[in-house]
Amino acid sequence: MSRAVTATLRVNGEERTVAFPGHHTLLEVLREECALTGTKHGCELGECGACTVLVDGRPVLSCLTLACQHEGREIETVEGLADGNRLGPLQVAFADLGAAQCGYCTPGILMAAEAMLREQPRPSRERIAEQLSGNLCRCTGYLKIVEAVEWAAAVRRGEDAGPPPEILFGHPEPGRPGGDAPGRRPSETASSNT
Amino acid sequence: MRNIDSAGHLRGESLYLDDLPELEGTLHAAVFGSPVAHGRVRRLEIGPALETPGVVAVLTAAEIPGENQIGGILPDEPLLAEDEVHYDGQPMAIVVAVDEAVARRATRAIRAEIDELPAITDPREARRRGLLIQPPRTFSCGDVDAAWEDCAYVVEGVAESGGQEHLYLETQGAYAHRTEKGGLRIWSSTQGPTVVQRCVARVLGLPMKEIEVDVTRLGGGFGGKEDQASAWATMAALASLRTARPVKLVPHRLDDLRMTGTRHPYSSDFRIGLDEDLKIVAYEVTFHQNAGAAADLSPAVLERTLFHATNAYFVPNVRATAYSCRTNLAPNTAFRGFGGPQGMFVMEAAIAAVAERAGVEAAEIQRRNLVRVGDTFPYGQAVDEPTAEATWDRCAERYDLAGLRRRVAEHNARDPVRKLGLAVMPIAFGIAFTKTHMNQASVLVHVYGDGSVGVSTAAVEMGQGINTKLVQIAARVLSIDPSRVKIETTNTTRVANTSPTAASASADLNGHALVRACSAIRGRLLSLAANELGLEAGSVDLREERVVVGATATRLGRESLDWESLVRAAFFRRVDLSEHAFYATPGIHFDAETEKGSPFGYLVYGTAIVLASVDRLRGTYEIEAVHVVHDVGESLNPTVDGGQVEGGIVQGIGWMTMEEVIYDEAGRLRSGALSTYKIPDVYAAPKRLEYELFETESGNGAVYRSKAVGEPPLMYGIGAFFAIRDAIRAASPEARPSLVAPLTPERVLLALYPQGERATEAAFAEGEESPAEVR
Repeated sequence: MSRAVTATLRVNGEERTVAFPGHHTLLEVLREECALTGTKHGCELGECGACTVLVDGRPVLSCLTLACQHEGREIETVEGLADGNRLGPLQVAFADLGAAQCGYCTPGILMAAEAMLREQPRPSRERIAEQLSGNLCRCTGYLKIVEAVEWAAAVRRGEDAGPPPEILFGHPEPGRPGGDAPGRRPSETASSNT
Repeated sequence: MRNIDSAGHLRGESLYLDDLPELEGTLHAAVFGSPVAHGRVRRLEIGPALETPGVVAVLTAAEIPGENQIGGILPDEPLLAEDEVHYDGQPMAIVVAVDEAVARRATRAIRAEIDELPAITDPREARRRGLLIQPPRTFSCGDVDAAWEDCAYVVEGVAESGGQEHLYLETQGAYAHRTEKGGLRIWSSTQGPTVVQRCVARVLGLPMKEIEVDVTRLGGGFGGKEDQASAWATMAALASLRTARPVKLVPHRLDDLRMTGTRHPYSSDFRIGLDEDLKIVAYEVTFHQNAGAAADLSPAVLERTLFHATNAYFVPNVRATAYSCRTNLAPNTAFRGFGGPQGMFVMEAAIAAVAERAGVEAAEIQRRNLVRVGDTFPYGQAVDEPTAEATWDRCAERYDLAGLRRRVAEHNARDPVRKLGLAVMPIAFGIAFTKTHMNQASVLVHVYGDGSVGVSTAAVEMGQGINTKLVQIAARVLSIDPSRVKIETTNTTRVANTSPTAASASADLNGHALVRACSAIRGRLLSLAANELGLEAGSVDLREERVVVGATATRLGRESLDWESLVRAAFFRRVDLSEHAFYATPGIHFDAETEKGSPFGYLVYGTAIVLASVDRLRGTYEIEAVHVVHDVGESLNPTVDGGQVEGGIVQGIGWMTMEEVIYDEAGRLRSGALSTYKIPDVYAAPKRLEYELFETESGNGAVYRSKAVGEPPLMYGIGAFFAIRDAIRAASPEARPSLVAPLTPERVLLALYPQGERATEAAFAEGEESPAEVR
């Protein structure tokens, strides 16, 4: 067991002074000392992408980097994505399209996508795939994820976009019970129960 | 309706096992696994581990107060190995320490002295040595031996399919702590809370009432946590009992990969016979299931292989025999499809082989032999709906099968390097646990005084959207807004004797029980309303949260009689606002003596067209498109069901193409990390995936006729194998690619250049080059 070090981390815009063993990864410190458990352990080897967070706006695998190296850097996790109670466009698109199933890979994918969308408002599908190529998902098969990122990009650009045409396949006619009607915009509110 | 878990997932607020707040004094455990695949244990030296600073305890089999046995179907698997070890990584000791890193490091200080015995990894060799989990089983119908005479084409061959790691993004895990009076509470990442409860009770020698198992949600299960979550939970429980502290056990990904089983690899021999009209007259198949070192769920998986041996086809003369072979691998287990995909793959391989012999497209044979109403499957279940043919025809029409085929031929004539291939993949998958007694579920519903509703069921949410469907069902029966309904954690204290969330059956079983519970409460509330209003029972109704007579809203005194006031009135009139209800699937039966019966409530059908392209220079390939018409009855939630279709297909494509579980001759897993075991990434997804959720009048056993959807779509992935194979043959018409899955790019390249394969084999035989150098 190594000695604890103390560092001040800026996480989601908030300064936190935390003490932790010096060899602990950013992932461990975020989860254990900062109680931000949204960022997940997937493999602890940098192979699955589940632990992706943003450091100074760039996606970083938090399982492969030491927390003590991040003093003074701007760290962003999934918990910082929503604006208070209001989900951001990326989150809304994921919810509406069903791009999160078990949800375990979702935080990492959201962060990787968020970093791209800030720099590239109009990413091609190839660019989205490249950005997400380090993130594994075992539930969705990725198609809904790529569509959701594409849709969120359009909404962020302020375009009155419907969902991408691909999702119309297999969806019910508008107004059918049980289904989201296609062709509408991502819902505006943070409420997600219905 | 959106998945009710979405917001939590997207905010990072959803809690998984490892996210639960830690209790004061929590210890962490790690597991020491056998360093060899087979041997006799002479000595286990735990002293140095115990002396490591921070280690609180090292537990071996000697510390087990009850029975050292976790086998569910057969008692052949100890929790911790004693005198013998049967697979590499088999748990031998548990290290408990103040933190996870210390516990994991201390496992390396343990020394096992083991007299090594030969490891068997090949199921056929196990069969030759008589190492079977159970006696072989045979499903048959007609007279196969006599039928070959009537065949114009007879082809035999070998087909093999490999293992598949579940690769749930959340590893296995459990967190246990003692409760008063000697009991234990366990949070477990399991699909089967009762399986865990039973297992812990047995190993700790406690009655089940003392063991409470609670499941919040899983970060993926896919069958890997149906039975194999139990060992981890039991080890955590044992450690908690022995240290009197809370103990969390979350294995490292590498330990999870090494110590848990995969989808069963199968090696099979087939013989198929067709008449002049391409009708399948006879089919004989022998399956060798690689069960691994213990029975686990293998006998049940084997049974489903037999049920689905003829896939969606009618064959009058069948003999299907299955051997469950004991090898020195981690016990293989449930994985989405549960043996069905393995059986269906061999049937499709046989059709591909006989199509080549007959010089026709496989699709000609497939379409002509699809089951029709009045046909029976070899095990006796009658086909009662025309959906196999209907989905095929709809798929062929909607996605223009003839046009696709033409375009493939045109492209291949033009392009010398990139060749396209096409395959059609019909499926038929039976819905129910094949063990009839497991088809039961119960629920507990509370309506609280403010009109909100808490629902507890046996179902475990693991991303498949079951909780969303349960909310929809409760809201529908009670005529209330879904936001009033909460699905509680799955907990053995609230709902007992649960079947695992598996077999695609959970929405049906739990959904039906939930309909019953909510209907009973609704009935009591309506009686009360009629009574209060001075009307006849049966004249009032609940609609959109209001008590109505005909179309007219009612009032009680000054207030309109809505859901909240009705619930309030019920409380004050002492009407029971809670209900427990039970459901057992009616009409299903199977006789394991005669191997006949009608084990499924219904079947799910569908058809996929898969287009693949192969680079003939590199052996690489892409899945260009998948077009699916999938039978849903009447989908309760198209977003959820569509998600299952898409995810299942990609998982099936992974199994058939890129996911290769490799063991060396000593039985050590060589593909034991994400760097060496490749699951589909975003680039591996089909470039285009289109599907229609095909509505049918069938599915009367399904809840609200919304047919089960969890497993069946995975089997469309089998089409990817045959589409790639078709492209190989377009590139190299003389190629006869072997029927071995996964069809990795290496295998494709070797199939394209068979002379290269022979040269490689010769080089191996002479021992000139190592495999790495050849590659």
